[in-house]
Amino acid sequence: MKVYISGLYSGTSPQPGIGLSRSLRIAYPDATLVGVEYSNRSSGIHWQGFDDLWLQRPWEELDLAAYGELITELLDGGALWISGTDLEALWLASVFPDGHANLLSPPAVGLSRITKPGVEAHKGLPLQIPPFVSTDESDWDLHAFCRKHDWRVWLKGPYYEAVRTKSWEQFEAVRTALSKVWSTQRLFLQAHVSGYEESVMLAAYKGELLGCVSMRKRDLTEEGKTWAGDVQEVPEEFATKLREIIRDVNWTGGAELEMVRAPDGQRWLLEWNPRFPAWVHGATITGCNLPAMLVEAATGIPAEKTTGSGEEFTRVVLEVPVRSRYPLAPLPEPYGGGIGHSMKHPSGMPALAERLHKLHPHLMTANAGAENGTNGNGSHANGYAKVPDSFVHDLKQQDYAKMETPSFLFLDTTAADLFERASTLARNLSTPETQIVNGYSIKTNPDERLIKLALDSGFYAEAISLLEVQKALQIGFKPEQVILNGPGKWWPEGLMPKERMHAVFCDSIADLKRVIAAADRGELKSKVFGVRLRTPSIKSRFGIPVETPDDFAALIDAIALLPRDSSFGVHFHMASSHIGVGQWWHLYGAMLRWCRSLEKLAGRQIEVLDIGGGWFPDDWHEGREDDFTKAVQQARATLPNVRQIISEPGKAMAQPSMALAMRVLEIQDISDDTTEAVVDGSIAELPQYFFYPHRILRRNGETGELEPLRRGKTRLMGRLCMEHDEVAANVELPEGTQPGDVLIFCDAGGYDRSMSYVFGRG
Amino acid sequence: MYLGEGKNMVIDLEETADSNLDAGIARWENFPASYMSHHGTACCEIAREWITGMDYSQLNAGHPLTGPRWLRKLFKWGPSKWPMHWCQAVREETLDCGALGALSHQLFLARGVRSFAAQFILEFNDVSTRHWGESWGAAGCDPHWISNGLIYHEGSAVAVEGNEVKLWDATATWWINPKQFGGYAGLLAVRLFDPTADASTVFTWGEHRIPANTWHKVARAKADFASKKPAPKPRAKRRTRTTKKVAESAVAA
Repeated sequence: MKVYISGLYSGTSPQPGIGLSRSLRIAYPDATLVGVEYSNRSSGIHWQGFDDLWLQRPWEELDLAAYGELITELLDGGALWISGTDLEALWLASVFPDGHANLLSPPAVGLSRITKPGVEAHKGLPLQIPPFVSTDESDWDLHAFCRKHDWRVWLKGPYYEAVRTKSWEQFEAVRTALSKVWSTQRLFLQAHVSGYEESVMLAAYKGELLGCVSMRKRDLTEEGKTWAGDVQEVPEEFATKLREIIRDVNWTGGAELEMVRAPDGQRWLLEWNPRFPAWVHGATITGCNLPAMLVEAATGIPAEKTTGSGEEFTRVVLEVPVRSRYPLAPLPEPYGGGIGHSMKHPSGMPALAERLHKLHPHLMTANAGAENGTNGNGSHANGYAKVPDSFVHDLKQQDYAKMETPSFLFLDTTAADLFERASTLARNLSTPETQIVNGYSIKTNPDERLIKLALDSGFYAEAISLLEVQKALQIGFKPEQVILNGPGKWWPEGLMPKERMHAVFCDSIADLKRVIAAADRGELKSKVFGVRLRTPSIKSRFGIPVETPDDFAALIDAIALLPRDSSFGVHFHMASSHIGVGQWWHLYGAMLRWCRSLEKLAGRQIEVLDIGGGWFPDDWHEGREDDFTKAVQQARATLPNVRQIISEPGKAMAQPSMALAMRVLEIQDISDDTTEAVVDGSIAELPQYFFYPHRILRRNGETGELEPLRRGKTRLMGRLCMEHDEVAANVELPEGTQPGDVLIFCDAGGYDRSMSYVFGRG
Repeated sequence: MYLGEGKNMVIDLEETADSNLDAGIARWENFPASYMSHHGTACCEIAREWITGMDYSQLNAGHPLTGPRWLRKLFKWGPSKWPMHWCQAVREETLDCGALGALSHQLFLARGVRSFAAQFILEFNDVSTRHWGESWGAAGCDPHWISNGLIYHEGSAVAVEGNEVKLWDATATWWINPKQFGGYAGLLAVRLFDPTADASTVFTWGEHRIPANTWHKVARAKADFASKKPAPKPRAKRRTRTTKKVAESAVAA
């Protein structure tokens, strides 16, 4: 018997070849085991358990047709082949679409049913697939997915690699890198599931499940790979369904279902690998020799018995002599000025992926079409983000012929509608016991039109400086409609209103003492005096900390000093766009608990709650009424004395209210499908470019129509001579776009507008 | 589930003498589970509100059954003086397993999780127990929790469904594996306190059935699951391959 075994890489993210050889040696001591590898840098080639080595040139060099014929000859001659890598298994399935009796690797039909991330074949198993979204979706929708899942998301390649992306900037960088390595734009984002990793390994031959075994990871490498584990039976109900699935997909070979078990016991399927896992021998030493069962089924030759020893295994690091005639290769030269030797993928897997994309695109398509592959945000397919009709209506009213660019455009009906909706929502949520009212954060965009809209819509004005207070008063707010907040709210001196304000929130104990002193002197009057709480466990520089028992005790003591003839309130603020929607709501619950403790321990009733903020518009405006209704109920249940809840939507009001128009200055084709365009806008007008994507429209100069930009391979470079001045990447300019055309960046009315700066204008 | 042919298992576990365990159970029979005392004044109330508030914040939208591992970032493990009050506990740099177990129990309760104080008897080697004995003695604390290679330990148990529980080791910050093989750090006995339990109350922990409020010896698992097999499924007969020609290996380029 001769068995060819591939996948000999034995580094920190090992392949199963060594384990397969060890397991088969137990079962078939006299078999000839031949290691197959595509790089002499894979240390597994030196494993003495192989009787022979078949070292091929790396995949980027291999003549695939000739190699396929060679393997066909081997299989026809009676040799067996067990593939230890996903991509080789995919390629073999293209060479042998219906399988081969001696090829112990899954046929194409089986592989098509396990494609990530949907893994169609899992249906019927007691598993769920973590939510995911294809990167074919628009950037706008991908950002929504990240927010929805609290930025606990993984960007994954279709075959290998998964990188945690905690921010939009990181996501963009990783997407570029993974797309380049794996020659595909078809990546996917998947929500993280916290829990314990476990796997089911199986062996099957021609649709018959020969055996399966469960393994829980008990020790991990830094990359999350198995270092130790315990091996257990697969529960009967799971195995029964698995047997049906294996029959249905006519599976041959090994496989591994990688899962996470959440604290509530639910198992989530991360992927179904079309090969034995690297820990295969860990199961063998517990007595479950699945490779032996596979070979026995394929050949009919009885395997020697495998004696188990325990149910747990671990790994150790071993040094082995280098195989004669295969001396070690020198280290590659570091790139000039580079750090390290850049040695990833020595066997040329990325090159194989690129070749397979061209040869067999149907095999290489990520399955992102399952029912949970949506972002729950009204996503549009084909890379287009939905642009609200009101945007288009407002933008069509602009006179582009006379417009100097770059220029911010005020979307008046959009803005009016947003404020009206917020006002209506607050009214609807209010009860005789508790009033719900909005606050407009002036710093988010101090445009007078927005402040006036806020005034007319019954908002309070939230100011972080006395200059902002004065601006609110000039526009028509009364002092009793002003809330003063933040660490520098007393700046500049001399502008404090003489009249009573609505609320003043203290940002530190020192600030609180200053407020008390000013109130005692009659220099500061406010209906509500309160404190801003710093969010524990989420980093923030604002508010009074409660990180230690002493901090907490000091806060309680200080609250007792606040004027008794004013109401007491608590304020907290954390940008939900930054921490994610789910985490924000948890924070809200946590803060209510802190408030309850403060009320109980300081002996002051909390009558006003001021909560924010930093809401991404879609997360605040779209279908959130139920969330807000529950939030109000929760507040009332926790803090029965609350008479007023001030909601600060932050950029949810301002961001959609303005757009930025800029003109195309120059378009240059870089390659067949890559374009660079220079525009007269820049990051000076769009400083939030790094934090979230903007929906972009191109105005057709001839028809005046507004056409959305979809995902593509064009980079829009700003006018500044600054390396990082890029206002959009991965977009496609509509056909016919030319210099002079206007591009409109929507969603620029928040911090883009208020933090824009003058730069490069002489 | 293992569907293959029968495989033999050779298990050679050195088992702790049962008499040692009986002596340990007798020694710790009257040990109450540790609990935090309350001065009845604001000092302890502030401390309790603070630590439960921090715990909820530290969950970061995680599941309520997530173990409160953050406690061990706050407190080192070491000798503690008893009785201990809430206001003292939150300001300590080190806490012993009783304090950590008592706090974790209270935190689970504050989250709305059914939790029970849990006591354990674990097996360790001599060098470990000698080391602990010396360090406790040096701190002026009685190493009463160490005896003949066994240690008394505390944690908490949380109900995941009905009376099915998971055991949280608040000191080690892990869920104890229900499959126990004995040996170093092996769990030999457990006692779960449920003040509302009656004589028939039994908790389920993996394969174990643990009566409430009494020491229960943890049955050792046999590391032989691979030898427990159902009758093999009848397999379609295949042609024998013993005489099949095997190709010669190709020569590497």
